Amino acid sequence: MEARSIFPALDRQIYGKPLIYFDNAATAQRPQAVLDLQQRLCVEACGNIHRAIHRLSAEATDAYEAGREAVRRFINAPARENVVFTSGTTASINLVATCFCERFLGAGDRILVSEAEHHSNLVPWQLACGRQGASLEVLPVDEAGELSVEELDRRLAAAEGRIKLVAVTHISNVLGIVNPVRELVAVAHRYGVPVLVDGAQGIIHETVDVQALDCDFYAFSGHKVYAPTGIGVLYGKTRWLDEMPPFMGGGEMIDTVSFEKTTYAPLPLKYEAGTQNFVAAACFAPALETARALMDDPVLQENLLAMRDFLLAELGRIEGMRIYGCPRDPQRKIPLISFTVAGAFPADLAQILDKMGIAVRSGHVCAEPLLRRFGQTSVVRASLAPYNTLAECESFVAALRRAVNMLR
Amino acid sequence: MKTIQEIQADIVEEFSVFSDWMDKYEYLIELGKGMPLIDEKDKTEANLIRGCQSRVWLSCRAEDGRLHFAADSDAIITKGIISLLLKVYDGQTPADILAADEAFIGEIGLKENLSPTRANGLVSMIAAIKAYAAAFQAGTEEKPRDLEADVVAALRMVYDPEIPVNVYDMGLIYDIQADADGQVFIRMTLTAPNCPIADDVVAQVREAVSDVPGVKDVQVELVFEPEWTTDRMSEEAKLELGML
Repeated sequence: MEARSIFPALDRQIYGKPLIYFDNAATAQRPQAVLDLQQRLCVEACGNIHRAIHRLSAEATDAYEAGREAVRRFINAPARENVVFTSGTTASINLVATCFCERFLGAGDRILVSEAEHHSNLVPWQLACGRQGASLEVLPVDEAGELSVEELDRRLAAAEGRIKLVAVTHISNVLGIVNPVRELVAVAHRYGVPVLVDGAQGIIHETVDVQALDCDFYAFSGHKVYAPTGIGVLYGKTRWLDEMPPFMGGGEMIDTVSFEKTTYAPLPLKYEAGTQNFVAAACFAPALETARALMDDPVLQENLLAMRDFLLAELGRIEGMRIYGCPRDPQRKIPLISFTVAGAFPADLAQILDKMGIAVRSGHVCAEPLLRRFGQTSVVRASLAPYNTLAECESFVAALRRAVNMLR
Repeated sequence: MKTIQEIQADIVEEFSVFSDWMDKYEYLIELGKGMPLIDEKDKTEANLIRGCQSRVWLSCRAEDGRLHFAADSDAIITKGIISLLLKVYDGQTPADILAADEAFIGEIGLKENLSPTRANGLVSMIAAIKAYAAAFQAGTEEKPRDLEADVVAALRMVYDPEIPVNVYDMGLIYDIQADADGQVFIRMTLTAPNCPIADDVVAQVREAVSDVPGVKDVQVELVFEPEWTTDRMSEEAKLELGML
């Protein structure tokens, strides 16, 4: 399939040069089908979901639930009740950090996170630990950026039941390495410890089957899978979603309300208090259809790998280049490359590249502890999508060389 | 020595020879590289202005009524722009610094670098330069200290984030009482009773006034009687908001 033509943003010119969008790990561009549905629902079916009898409300509710079904199918969740809509990955993780920890985390207990976590899969746990008198334990990454399943095993054995949950990223937003989530989950489950997987990057680079992974929670955002911002998903196993208390109280999450006692709505609505972003949720349907088509296209997938290999090889030729996240099995690296170049500060490189029409990310990329582990405060990150081309990669390398020469 | 306006005009002139961004950036990089470094001992946590993209350090000392700045950044383009700002502000008096603006950065085509979204620390750095100037001005009045006047000067640095006029000239301050012991009482209002950032503005007022040398304690009372109207604004404020 021709990927570029369905994403209108890619036609943009930046300072008179064609846009090269290499910041897909932050936000992916949106296909025409998503933009069309968004527009159509706003115009034709702008009625609050799950509430009224009237036609607009019914159509909006149908679209919302169709979005949920699209998500369920995409991640192979067993049922609709396992798919909770939130405002994004961060909100999904905060939900679990609040509700799970309130119920299952006590004084002296621990939450185990990896050293490679985005702040969004770190700070919510810190806050929860603070509230419950618990502490955070960190599973380190090695020099290559990899997590060790054996080390997790050792930590869980040594903790003697005090670790109550493991929170780990599927793919780090800095390292771009696919973590052995299935193995990590299997080890944790041997100790009876549930696992939350931060799927912000994983959802778009891997075919995610939550039942095969057997994780207890999987969190991701819409805007990284071609849907709008302000919508995300928390997948949870029924057992946990049933046992955890509700997150926010309010409309739609109730069954009956009286001043003495309120009972809650069945899953997943128990966790969906207040008016949801129903237009964005509905957009999951066309967004995930696009994602599936792009992932299933062998030519595009081959091209992604070719771009990754080209960039790793060509960047490696630049003097002073250091790339973060080089797994022993190179196939476990996704086309997301964070790097520094000696003598050229990341923000300067990003600023010069921007002037050449190239969008990359720079800064601490929301993973300060991980960067500190590699002795950095800041990196440049180029992250690719199936709509990027090898020609763009060539322009990027040439532009980067030029920027480095300006700065040195 | 040249005035701030003259130096800014020089810089605009200097940049007018560059026809494209590449030359401009190369010049900024050169300026950044050539900038005298901040003393390592001044590269302290207290002098650090953190941005998500880069860090900036700024130190300040006063000599003969003029302020001297030294600064550094880990990003070289940011450092180049810092060197322009220092060229403008270094050696000037606090009053002139407070009266000046940074419009010349826009005139030389670098406006986007001063956008808060750049998160490069420049916006906070300019605020820090102004704060030094304000503090220095408030702290070195030669005549017997007039605490109330100093409090007014401090209030003129406080803004409701949605209004480009300070709270004093907006007429939001109903009463100021400052006694010889440094006890200050302020009665104030806001433009609307349901103002969502009311607590913020009150906290800012309290903080600004407690920073005034000689002030020991500040009490702020927020009232909505009598109701604020535009009649309470100063002529300058009306002019600034285009109401005249």
